[in-house]
Amino acid sequence: MRAEGVGIHYLFDRQQRTVSPTVAHIRRPGGDNWALADVSLEIGTGEAVALLGPSGSGKSTLLRTIAHVLEPDTGTMVTEGRLGSLLSIQAGVMAMLTGRENTMLLGVLSGMTPKQARAQMDEVKRRSGLDKHYERLVASYSQGMRARLGLSIMERTDPQILLLDEIHEALDHEFRDHLENYVNDLLAAGGIVVATGHDHPMLERFSTRALLLEKGRVVADGEFSEVQADYLGERTG
Amino acid sequence: MNDLGSRIAPLTRRLQILLALARSDLHIRYGRGRGQLIQWIVDPFALVGVYLLLRLMFDRGGEAPGLMLACAVVPFQIILFSCISAMSAVSLREPILMNMSFDRMLIPPSSVVTESLAFAASFVMFPIAMIIYGVGPHLSLLWLPVVVAVALILALGAAWPAALIGLWFPAVRTLASQGLRLLFFAAPGIVALSEVSDDVERWIVYNPFTGLFESFRHVFVYGDSPAFWQLAYPAAVGLALALVFVPLYRREERHFAKLVGDN
Repeated sequence: MRAEGVGIHYLFDRQQRTVSPTVAHIRRPGGDNWALADVSLEIGTGEAVALLGPSGSGKSTLLRTIAHVLEPDTGTMVTEGRLGSLLSIQAGVMAMLTGRENTMLLGVLSGMTPKQARAQMDEVKRRSGLDKHYERLVASYSQGMRARLGLSIMERTDPQILLLDEIHEALDHEFRDHLENYVNDLLAAGGIVVATGHDHPMLERFSTRALLLEKGRVVADGEFSEVQADYLGERTG
Repeated sequence: MNDLGSRIAPLTRRLQILLALARSDLHIRYGRGRGQLIQWIVDPFALVGVYLLLRLMFDRGGEAPGLMLACAVVPFQIILFSCISAMSAVSLREPILMNMSFDRMLIPPSSVVTESLAFAASFVMFPIAMIIYGVGPHLSLLWLPVVVAVALILALGAAWPAALIGLWFPAVRTLASQGLRLLFFAAPGIVALSEVSDDVERWIVYNPFTGLFESFRHVFVYGDSPAFWQLAYPAAVGLALALVFVPLYRREERHFAKLVGDN
């Protein structure tokens, strides 16, 4: 996975709503912001990278750019391998669909054929431990249940690059252990993990490297403990 | 053979994604089970009933009025509901848009596919109305696949700008759908084209719904072939909308996560 000079640019109208460049021509401008600016990095196989930094520093934006959810406004982002991501607070599942219907939809969107996605349904139900809730609307789920469903579906798509944005913090202890084991297995198989969150002890357990982001720029890159010390040192002055 | 297979594979993949999106849309918009089908069938009947009352109140009975109205209501429903659905199609998918990459170009067509099922179910109206009014069936029914194709081309063409309007200006979604309803009344929806004055006819033909509604009437009521312009003009409007808005949508879809984002 390689990023070269990646920038993500947000434009706002006068009411501070995010607008696309096309609409920015029509509406009165309200300023702009580079959520990521000139980010260059390379992550090799078997690496687990933790993204550290204060809220609004660009951690989530970087994860979404790696996932190709956001496309760079400058620079290039190249990823090789199947992506699995849990990046939104809803864990990437649709509230008005049941667990089973989400499995079908997300399975197909992730690259499975409908037949393959259908074949995974009972396994996702078992792994997520949702039991009868699996047949109910996700709108009735707690955040932790959504995270379990999202994680169980994502696992079945067999990703080589795993992206996690705080979502693991919604999981209960049993599922956190499960996630850590899964991450370790993925890394042992030559996969890549990029994660962010405020649970530093957990990030430290599986990370081989950390990046510190500040105002959309990577300001430190190295061993987790060193980068964490930079971050915490800055915060405490 | 392998070459053919490798050419077909991306198309098959896109079709699978399109159907998966439409299927999920279907569950969200119409629920699940038999109630779905009943709702699709009952909705156009209810609408025709309302317009039929309106016609009778204004003493415009005419020939097979229920069937005449169905010829406008059924094709109008596919365009209206495709646009309404497309206007919220992007924001509806925020959880997945913010989480993973997929072919976002398929979002507007998925709204049309979803509404096509309701469109197909509403065709139950035609044989019932034809029996009630003792009309046909005529050989002109052979034109049915063509007029349906024209309705779908117009719905698909309109779905792209609808998706963009819904995203760019979410506050005007209701206004935009009312604008479409206005176009229904600015076309021979409640009364046939032959019943409107020459002055009105002169400008009403520029409304793409005019040709569409009249071509359905030729197939189901008049029992002859639709005029060329009645098919060509709405299809051309649909294609022109696609020609303008598909490239624009393609340019915009890379910014969707910024616009619907929960950052």
